[in-house]
Amino acid sequence: MIYWGCNPVESHMRHLSRYSARARGLFTPEGSKSRKVVAIDVRPTPTTKNADVFIQVLPGNTFEIATVLRALLKGVGLEGADEEMSVAGVPLDSWRKVADMIKSCSYGVLFFGLGVTQCRGTDVNVEQVARLVQDANLHTRFYAMAMRGHGNVNGSNQVLAWQTGYPMAVNFSRGYARFNPGEFSVMDMLARREPDAALIVATDPGAHLPLDAVRFLQSIPSIHLDPHCNMTTPWANVVIPVAPAGVAAAGTFYRMDNVALRVKKLVESAYPSDEEVLKAIKEKITHAADR
Amino acid sequence: MLRIANGHVHDPARGVRGEIVDLYIDGDRIVSGEGFSQDEIQRMETIDASGCAVMPGGVEIHSHIAGAKVNTGRIMCPEDHYEHIRTETACTRAGCGLSLPTTFLTGYLYSQLGYTTVFEAAVPPLEARHAHEELMDMPLLDKGLYTVMGNNMLVMKVLSDPDSSRRRERLRDLVSWLLRASRGYAVKVVNPGGVESWKWNNGAVDLDTPTRPFGVTSRRIITELAEVVDELGLPHPMHLHSNHLGEPGNVDTTLATMRALEGHRTHFTHLQFHSYAKTGKGRFTSGAARMAEYFNGHPEFTCDVGQIVFGKTLTMTSDAPMEFKLHQMRKGKWANCDIEMESGSGIVPIVYRPRMLVNAIQWAIGLELLLLVDNPWQIFLTTDHPNAGPFTAYPGLIRLLMDANYRQSWLDRLHPRIKRSTCLFDLTREYTLDEIAVITRAGPARTLGLQNKGHLGPGADADVAVYPLNEDRAAMFSAPRYVFKNGVMVVREGEILQSVEGRTFTVEPAGGRKLPEDLAELFAQGYTINMANYMVEDEYLPRPEVVPCK
Repeated sequence: MIYWGCNPVESHMRHLSRYSARARGLFTPEGSKSRKVVAIDVRPTPTTKNADVFIQVLPGNTFEIATVLRALLKGVGLEGADEEMSVAGVPLDSWRKVADMIKSCSYGVLFFGLGVTQCRGTDVNVEQVARLVQDANLHTRFYAMAMRGHGNVNGSNQVLAWQTGYPMAVNFSRGYARFNPGEFSVMDMLARREPDAALIVATDPGAHLPLDAVRFLQSIPSIHLDPHCNMTTPWANVVIPVAPAGVAAAGTFYRMDNVALRVKKLVESAYPSDEEVLKAIKEKITHAADR
Repeated sequence: MLRIANGHVHDPARGVRGEIVDLYIDGDRIVSGEGFSQDEIQRMETIDASGCAVMPGGVEIHSHIAGAKVNTGRIMCPEDHYEHIRTETACTRAGCGLSLPTTFLTGYLYSQLGYTTVFEAAVPPLEARHAHEELMDMPLLDKGLYTVMGNNMLVMKVLSDPDSSRRRERLRDLVSWLLRASRGYAVKVVNPGGVESWKWNNGAVDLDTPTRPFGVTSRRIITELAEVVDELGLPHPMHLHSNHLGEPGNVDTTLATMRALEGHRTHFTHLQFHSYAKTGKGRFTSGAARMAEYFNGHPEFTCDVGQIVFGKTLTMTSDAPMEFKLHQMRKGKWANCDIEMESGSGIVPIVYRPRMLVNAIQWAIGLELLLLVDNPWQIFLTTDHPNAGPFTAYPGLIRLLMDANYRQSWLDRLHPRIKRSTCLFDLTREYTLDEIAVITRAGPARTLGLQNKGHLGPGADADVAVYPLNEDRAAMFSAPRYVFKNGVMVVREGEILQSVEGRTFTVEPAGGRKLPEDLAELFAQGYTINMANYMVEDEYLPRPEVVPCK
């Protein structure tokens, strides 16, 4: 198992015990004893402390690391390389050991996080990491899995994909769906100051977006649906408190590996669910349009 | 009451062969026209179908339209969608996609071809909730899904029992439980044993290769599942994608598989992909003639063809090792997923080119099968959407079957050496409209065990397609004049008039209420979810219809 640019011990609390490093499987009854864990990160974290091998790398070298590992897996010579060479501040020999571990395991998984996806090169890094895993499959079974952020962010990706064809950054302004990350993603839209109103559902831009983007959002009318008081609540023009999903509202939750699960309503809430609120808003808009 | 008058009715299930007969619809059912007075008939709403062929609504027996792998394909290939856009209308939603249309658009596109019933071809139980969610967003169609079982760990565990009678009884119970858990309609088997073998990093399997971890063979998986499907009286026979899909010489494996299943009802899916022969020098060639000869002697079997359509598409199947091989050849995008204890799946984009010899032979094999299998009730028109091509190509394929001159004209467009590998251009058979009605609706409905589909007799669902007669059969079948779904006119002159919701077909076979203790223990050890969260809830089937077992 490789954790690369992610720290699930702190970000995905039950990941190690339930799904990865320490999980007991049908053919790995001893849990962590039956597998080797490699962590690649720019600094020590609680996840790297739990790994069998921790490789501390210099920031901004994801693409280089993946390229070198690919070359080692395929046995392709590295031009100008000698045994003294280091990649991302780590001697080539360490990478050779990682490549050997990849080749010799019977079933490997690479978990990658924001450290891979959000450093310089973004999507190019992800492609190279995916290619690395494809190459690993020439030797053994190997998987890559993105360590995603918020709960059920995959749910919105899945529903958008089957309804519009695209998982995110979808623009409906022409009456059909258009997709272009980098143009229609939230940050790009806000940077161009394009929206003139915002409907914010189950997220907290006040806490997550850069200050300039938040300032712009504050300057346009905004509606905020959230079960909690957070850093968006104080400045949103309209705040509609909703029942927390999976606690006081039932629905479908898409796990990080795309398995859909039913979440149940466990307690009553004084507030309506997100779905009820959105349906009511939609009906009022339709009614107003009909008039 | 509604009357569809003056149309040439093609209702092969009842032996009506293009005679001019009026059709009467009361609510969502077809009713007998006998006993209505002239006065009553005058007062009915009448649709004039003169100059048209009137057929039951189309029934799609094998198509990948919803669920985890379809949606992953959509996400993986936005380039499939850019040039295929529909804007919203007063009654339809916007959508996009050619080989992977969005769910709403899938409903509209099928309906605009006169199809009213569609089955999603492969869903592992763990992904069933997702597939049902997508089917809920697919209007204008009655739907169902097939539950994938051929590499299921619980199934293989049960099959490893040396006591044959206990094994059979436990398997029957387990199959029933899996169908209930996934709210599936039929038992689907994909590369039995082969997908599990690949998960262990082992090679492809033949009929008698024991597969880890339980040492069960493909032969045992298919023969015993077929027996159990018969015993449970499921409306649809075992739906089988056999071993070695796409490999030159696989016709031997497919024929051996068929011999192992003789006497059991079995549906062999996308048979084109399984009818490849090899010359003495190892060259890829057609095995369709051998396949058709065998098939013609075995009325217990049915198949669908999986006809190649030239152009870009995506291949997607639970046969993960096959997709990996394809990826090795093409080096492009590839998605793969091992589905815990149940199956695998893979996705690879592909382009079929007429000038590419292998593709041209594949194209010819599908048509050879359609023309060489004598009984149209045994072979159905599919493109294994989207694997061999999008379902929207059906009208063009119908023209190929009905017009021998047009078929011959294709010779110039194909690879120059095509004639060495196929007898297609020596075949002069032309399908009749009745035979087309069989391979696109009556036949699939019968094999699916749907009593009220695929015919226009009293009591049938009022799903009707009315096509304007036209010698250009592609034009005729691509633009029905009217389509009725449950007695409601939903398409007129190719336009969607309104969006109605269809039903989901399921089965409730005997037994299977609870997993036995040892299997429950295996479940707890192997799955990442609790059994309580496994069974698909009623919320995901807003309009279920249980089709009775025999």
